[in-house]
Amino acid sequence: MKARLVQRIALALGSALVALPAWCGPMGFKDSWMAMGDFAPNWKEAFVNYALTPRDALGVSTLVMRSDDESRARQLNEVTYTRLLSRWNLPEAQANVWLMGGAGNLTGNDFSGSKAVVTPGIQVDYETTRVYASALLRLYRAEGINHDFASARLGFSFYEVDYDQTQPWLIVEARRMNGLSDATEVTPMLRLIHNRYFVELGVSNASQVRANFMYIF
Amino acid sequence: MKKITFSLALAAAFALTALPSFATTSVKVTVNGMVCAFCAQGIEKRISKMGATKEVFVDLKKKTVAIEAKEGQLLDEKAITAEIVDSGYDVVKLETVPQSVAEIRAELKGRK
Repeated sequence: MKARLVQRIALALGSALVALPAWCGPMGFKDSWMAMGDFAPNWKEAFVNYALTPRDALGVSTLVMRSDDESRARQLNEVTYTRLLSRWNLPEAQANVWLMGGAGNLTGNDFSGSKAVVTPGIQVDYETTRVYASALLRLYRAEGINHDFASARLGFSFYEVDYDQTQPWLIVEARRMNGLSDATEVTPMLRLIHNRYFVELGVSNASQVRANFMYIF
Repeated sequence: MKKITFSLALAAAFALTALPSFATTSVKVTVNGMVCAFCAQGIEKRISKMGATKEVFVDLKKKTVAIEAKEGQLLDEKAITAEIVDSGYDVVKLETVPQSVAEIRAELKGRK
């Protein structure tokens, strides 16, 4: 009985992992710069990194977080490191495991001064020309602060395109941050990819507009 | 005099025959993991910077990258493989073909 239960759980976990999509990775190709932005009323993030190798990137990031009731706010500035831990290049798909992390300082409107903060995280993703899935877990820890963050994304493209055409996707993201919000934010987004341009636009279940972009140069 | 003229004409004809004929050649690469334009742009950018590259074409559906050589130049297959790997992808097959990128593009699109 126990063995069958374990087998079922393992099968379910395996299926879930296979179903995980990947969004375009958090770094570009070797010797490239990548700029990213994620903007919503309660979460504003700007990020740039440089790929030193095909698997390592160094960058800087600034993030402003706000509680749902708008009473508390945090600003985090950090130096970041991104590592492509594993990649599987398949004929019709790509899957990745990324490690990421940063160290910097955190300020807030409910405490004085600034605090040292560390932000280790892991992302897994899986992507085909038609399906995308990813999951991200990132810890935001400082003395007396825990704003751990988790998100999952799943989506599909409406059709395949040639390399020089714009590809539209529908992506749904669910994300949650500890300590500032008790709600899970769910945002369906229209994603458009055209060569080096990547944008996402959506409205969350809290009726907040969200806009993301990425650009490689 | 006639003999000299004939000899010169013959020499010129040989010289013309000996001139290299710069036939168009391209390298066609099958690449694993190339699933989106945003991610694959590194391949195009890096290979375009190579000295012997005249034109690059990426076909996501056929998982193919085609690179045409500049006239009279040879493409370095090892360097192309290294650039694709540095862009984050795996090379499955690489072949030199007597076609231009425009011809390869037409052929691949014709198969769709």
